[in-house]
Amino acid sequence: MSVIDLITRVDAICQKYDKYDVDKQKQLDVSGDDAFARLYAAVEADAEAAAQKAELAATEKSRATAIAMNAEIRRTKSRLLEELPKLQRLAFKKVKGLSKEELEARSDLVSALKDRIEAIPDGTAGVSGQNGGSAASTSRPGIRFDSTSDTKFGSEYHQQTEESEGFRQEYEMRRMKQDEGLDVIAEGLDTLKNMAGDMNEEFDRQAPLMDEIDDKVDRAASDLKNTNRRLKDTVTQLRSSRNFCLDIILLCIILGIAAYLYNVLK
Amino acid sequence: MASSDPDKLMLKADKQTKLSLTRWSADWRSATALYEQAAIAYRLAKNYEKAKEAFEKASKGQEMLSSPWDAAKHMESAGSLAKELRNWSEVADFYRRASELYIECGRSQPASDALTKGARVLEEVVPEEAIKLYTDACAILEEDGKEQMAFDLYRAATSVYIKLEKFTDAAATLLRWGLAADKCNATNSQCKAYLSAIIVYLYLHDSTQAEKCYNDCSQIDAFLRSDQNRCATKLLSAYAEGDVEEIKHIAQSSTITHLDHVIIRLARKLPTGDVAALENNASKEQEEPLDENDLT
Repeated sequence: MSVIDLITRVDAICQKYDKYDVDKQKQLDVSGDDAFARLYAAVEADAEAAAQKAELAATEKSRATAIAMNAEIRRTKSRLLEELPKLQRLAFKKVKGLSKEELEARSDLVSALKDRIEAIPDGTAGVSGQNGGSAASTSRPGIRFDSTSDTKFGSEYHQQTEESEGFRQEYEMRRMKQDEGLDVIAEGLDTLKNMAGDMNEEFDRQAPLMDEIDDKVDRAASDLKNTNRRLKDTVTQLRSSRNFCLDIILLCIILGIAAYLYNVLK
Repeated sequence: MASSDPDKLMLKADKQTKLSLTRWSADWRSATALYEQAAIAYRLAKNYEKAKEAFEKASKGQEMLSSPWDAAKHMESAGSLAKELRNWSEVADFYRRASELYIECGRSQPASDALTKGARVLEEVVPEEAIKLYTDACAILEEDGKEQMAFDLYRAATSVYIKLEKFTDAAATLLRWGLAADKCNATNSQCKAYLSAIIVYLYLHDSTQAEKCYNDCSQIDAFLRSDQNRCATKLLSAYAEGDVEEIKHIAQSSTITHLDHVIIRLARKLPTGDVAALENNASKEQEEPLDENDLT
């Protein structure tokens, strides 16, 4: 059997026999009926852990790790603050074995715990952030990162640094500009598509016309070629040397006769 | 070739065609030649009346010589001269006759071209006649299977109808245009024609007709898949909701901007009348049939 198998078996056995564990039961019994005390203990433990982490983050050199830890702390804070209303409700519940004063003390305890949680530093600037926070909390209704019930915390919770505020605004501006640019492109594409469709139809219309023109021109060209050939034949025939010589001889004879007559008549 | 006084030419030609005791058959060949010369001479002299007559006679001569092509050409010239003389009924007659002669030659394109020329001349003055000429020209082309050429004619006919404010006729013409486009698979023009028809009906503030038209057109696959269909759906739903802003916004959209400019003008004027009233009527109509069902 490997180590892992051993460990799993041990866990299973422990779970089975947990109910026989006296110490554990005693602990559970203490806060068994008292949901408030249980929850209170849990929240307090978490708040302690968060405070310790905050101290660590304050001493952290690397900015990235500091930011990451602060984010973690903020998340924990918001979670704890969410639990607080439940705690409040439980605080007013009557539990057996508790005196009236203790009941009242419980709600005080709850509010004290709330202050403690909020006091945990989470890396956001104090004073200036408060002014910026109230403006920032209304600017982004859509996306929420950490908290869902932040109306209770007031505007101080959304303490933003000036840097992140500016960054967020720039991001918004750039996104709007991109949207505008994309709109312009979309319109241009629409026009192009329409023109392309019309051109397509026009070409469809003109293609058979071009074919007709092609045919007609071909026919005319072949007719012309024929005619030219025939003309050439005729002209060559006319200009053949035999006819030429005949013409010259006959011309000479006529001139001779004319000269003879001229001489006779003179 | 005497380039003498065209009157003399005309007289000579007439003499050659008139039958009398000495002349048993008219000599159309020489007569036609003389008529043509006279007509050209008259036209140069800007004597349109005489030129027109000369062209008419020349055309008749060519007919007698059984060359309908030349006859048709002369008729067209006569028609253009009649236009100068502002003799509108004659213009129509001449161009119709020319078109008939072209059909005799078996050439449908020039026939419809002749009718188109006549229609264009008469657009301003006698629009009804112009429309008749346009529709006849479209019919000629469609018979010959050349629907592609008919698009321009449909466009012209539609714009004349809209100018005359006969919107139902305009919409009918647009639907016929869509049909012609369908036959030659010109889906872009077809969808544009259907969208224009819907807009015309909406301009008439007749949303029931528009919806009927839209339903008819939706049965055609090509229209259903097109941009124009989306635009039409948006427009009709905006009308159903009575949202004036939305209607105006859609009228500015690029799909409508690509239609014919006459239609764009109509679309920019939408919505005409009270859209909310339309909406009430529509909902009331929907309630009544339900009541009848309850009673029965």
